[in-house]
Amino acid sequence: MTTTVYSARRIITMNPNRPFASHVAVRDGRILGAGSLEELKGWGKVDLDTRFADKVILPGFVEGHSHAFEGGVWKFPYVGYFDRTSPEGKCAAGLKSIDEVVAALQAHEKTLPKGTSLLAWGFDPIYFGGRRMGLADVDRISTERPVVIVHSNFHVANANTPVLAKAGITRTTNVHGIVKDAAGEPTGELQEMAAKYMAYRAAGVEIAAVLSDEQAVWRFARVAQLAGVTTATDLHNELPESTVEGYLKATGSDDFPIRLLPAFAATSVPPTDGVARLQALVKKNNDKLRFQLVKIVTDGSIQGLSARMRWPGYYDGTPNGVWNVGPDDIDRILLAYHRAGFQVHIHTNGDEASEVGIEAVERALAAAPRWDHRHTLQHAQMADAGQFRRMKALGICANLFANHLYYWGDIHYARTLGPERAERMDACATALATGVPLAIHCDAPVTPIGPLFTAWCAVNRLTASGRTLGEAEKIPVADALRAITLGAAYTLKLDEELGSIDVGKRADFAILDDDPLSVPPEKLKDVGVWGTVLGGKVFEAPKA
Amino acid sequence: MSEPIPFTVIGGFLGAGKTTLLNRLLGGAEGRRFAVLVNDFGALDIDGGLVAVHGGDTIALANGCLCCTIGDSLVTTLLGLLERPERFDHIVVEASGVADPGRIADLAVLEPRLSRDGVIVVVDAAEVRARATDRRTGDTVLRQLKAADLLVLNKIDLAEELPALRDWLGVQSTAPTLEARHGDVPLDLLFGLDRAGASGHSSPVDAFASWSYQWSEPVERADLLAMLREAPGEVLRAKGIVRFADTPDRRSVVHLVGRRLDISDEGPWGDTAGSRLVMLGLRPVLGSLPRETTT
Ligand SMILES: [Zn+2]
Ligand SMILES: [Zn+2]
Repeated sequence: MTTTVYSARRIITMNPNRPFASHVAVRDGRILGAGSLEELKGWGKVDLDTRFADKVILPGFVEGHSHAFEGGVWKFPYVGYFDRTSPEGKCAAGLKSIDEVVAALQAHEKTLPKGTSLLAWGFDPIYFGGRRMGLADVDRISTERPVVIVHSNFHVANANTPVLAKAGITRTTNVHGIVKDAAGEPTGELQEMAAKYMAYRAAGVEIAAVLSDEQAVWRFARVAQLAGVTTATDLHNELPESTVEGYLKATGSDDFPIRLLPAFAATSVPPTDGVARLQALVKKNNDKLRFQLVKIVTDGSIQGLSARMRWPGYYDGTPNGVWNVGPDDIDRILLAYHRAGFQVHIHTNGDEASEVGIEAVERALAAAPRWDHRHTLQHAQMADAGQFRRMKALGICANLFANHLYYWGDIHYARTLGPERAERMDACATALATGVPLAIHCDAPVTPIGPLFTAWCAVNRLTASGRTLGEAEKIPVADALRAITLGAAYTLKLDEELGSIDVGKRADFAILDDDPLSVPPEKLKDVGVWGTVLGGKVFEAPKA
Repeated sequence: MSEPIPFTVIGGFLGAGKTTLLNRLLGGAEGRRFAVLVNDFGALDIDGGLVAVHGGDTIALANGCLCCTIGDSLVTTLLGLLERPERFDHIVVEASGVADPGRIADLAVLEPRLSRDGVIVVVDAAEVRARATDRRTGDTVLRQLKAADLLVLNKIDLAEELPALRDWLGVQSTAPTLEARHGDVPLDLLFGLDRAGASGHSSPVDAFASWSYQWSEPVERADLLAMLREAPGEVLRAKGIVRFADTPDRRSVVHLVGRRLDISDEGPWGDTAGSRLVMLGLRPVLGSLPRETTT
């Protein structure tokens, strides 16, 4: 029985009884205590490890809403506007023009075997001053093999001529989602169903498996670990046998660097089958893999113009969005999992969707009273004060999409929500003031995984153009740090086990180069992550 | 490449009667192999004696039909179906109660192995007007009505003011309407003529009938279009291969489902037989063209 004591510049515990400490003791993968070296020596013989002496230790970050799909897409080249860290810890530099994207993919194209297609992801044309990518651009990459460039929102793609030709898309094709230029010719830009279909078609049916196989989940875990994450969700998965097998294999390895919580996609099978399936999966749980969550998706996304909004709807007059699981169907699904004792995470972007989620939980509770259910609204981006009050009354948690403020805040301000609602979107301060349990998230791969960045968004509420989006909804750094640790753990029912540095909890730590409580709040995102500790095992991040 | 498979989408609100319709389809497939993609097997009423193999997310029926659950992604389910070795005569998708069935039908336009047949929207006569004014789902209902090529107005026995309802539907949608009780609509009208372009041999029911036309001389395009378009409530379905007078060396395929008419070019005429067209409809249709055969 060895006991290791780590010294640190500072330990921020999230335990209000002892918020800061200089040393933390670890035994059997769990926290023996946090305090001074003298205090910890009382436990008997200890090995002092000073490698973190100039570092700051926090509870390992908990990402309450991400997708292992992030690991899947890293199999393909990233062509986004912003720098992004790859699973290998390399910085994939942001590409600042369409020409840069084309040049990068021309080089990549030369490395591919004959007869295969080229897929890339993360492209984001909103920063290119209105210029869209056209067929001629993509054809410069190749006119032989199919090329599909998926946008950062995963709902739009650009394709080349071979892709369009194979599907017979011409100026006379009358299909929603095929963008045409002023002369009526297809530009190669595909939206929604058309984009998804053509991407899968070009990549082959096996792409779905590639995107969530064992290698994908390893890549996901590495990207998460590099950001200081020790627990992450895969918040929507049909969990086919092949995926479950990959998860079991990966998490069975000592070197797997995170704890993974997949959420079962509730609509993939009828609820009675789903409940039985999830009950069987729970029996396979191990230290690093937890089946216990369920996900229901109600509406689409705000920037995808598919969110379900209450009156007065979209600021620019766009018609209301679409339901995936609508008001008439949600009770049947929610109630089945609620009765079976599972925790349900409900995706609601627009405020009409949030309303439907809240009322469905209310009816489920009336039909089957249950304490401490912790059903959680995911995103809840437009929820207002009244909705937070209802959430509080019903015991609903909120996991807000703080990263949206930065990446799409300008568009929400100008086009989708308008100034007033944009300034109160992802209302972290209101949630906290109302007493709604709060987490904040990245929704990777929609935005990069990085809890310190997410916390920075909630603290500073700055958009990409530098606008402050809602002074009143800013939250203090300490609260933001809680939201990415203990707060997120609470929304996953893991708060008794992890999320703070406290006696008996798992020895899961984020090791930071600097003190997030001491740096200026606007520098929070720049605090370096040295690595993590998971169950007492040290994972150093490779240096970029 | 073999001929594309007709692709039909059945839309409509939860409880409108989509499943009843699918049950009738699977029970009365009569030698045509349908692949049916549904949201939930449990809702289907498949006769146990008809089930050949039950394999998790698919059920193979003794009559050659196949049911698949859509699961989480229609796109991957559909692509998976197209990769199967079996050959189907027709693919039918049951859209979810809140989906826009027109968007789903677009998949058949993008997929060369499929040909878009029709969007059939089933409407609950007793409930549709209340549904259409619902604060949260009314716009979805109206989108579905607009997307329909053909409406099945179901449960008319339960409707209170049928004439007013018909008028209202006429404002919401330009699609012809079939009225039904318990989803009892002739299947030929919904899923058409078989692959050869000839009508099924089932005898026309009540007011429904089919006509076959043949022309040895090229056909005036305007005359044919006028006949098909000017009687939208009467001609519900038409399929044929036509040699138009303005393009006598081309083979034009004419395909009408409800309000939707597609004419596509299938290459050089190269055929010794004349033009032929089969129509299904409600009442006798009088056109300016000579009718050579009648059934
Ligand atoms: Zn979501
Ligand atoms: Zn998500």
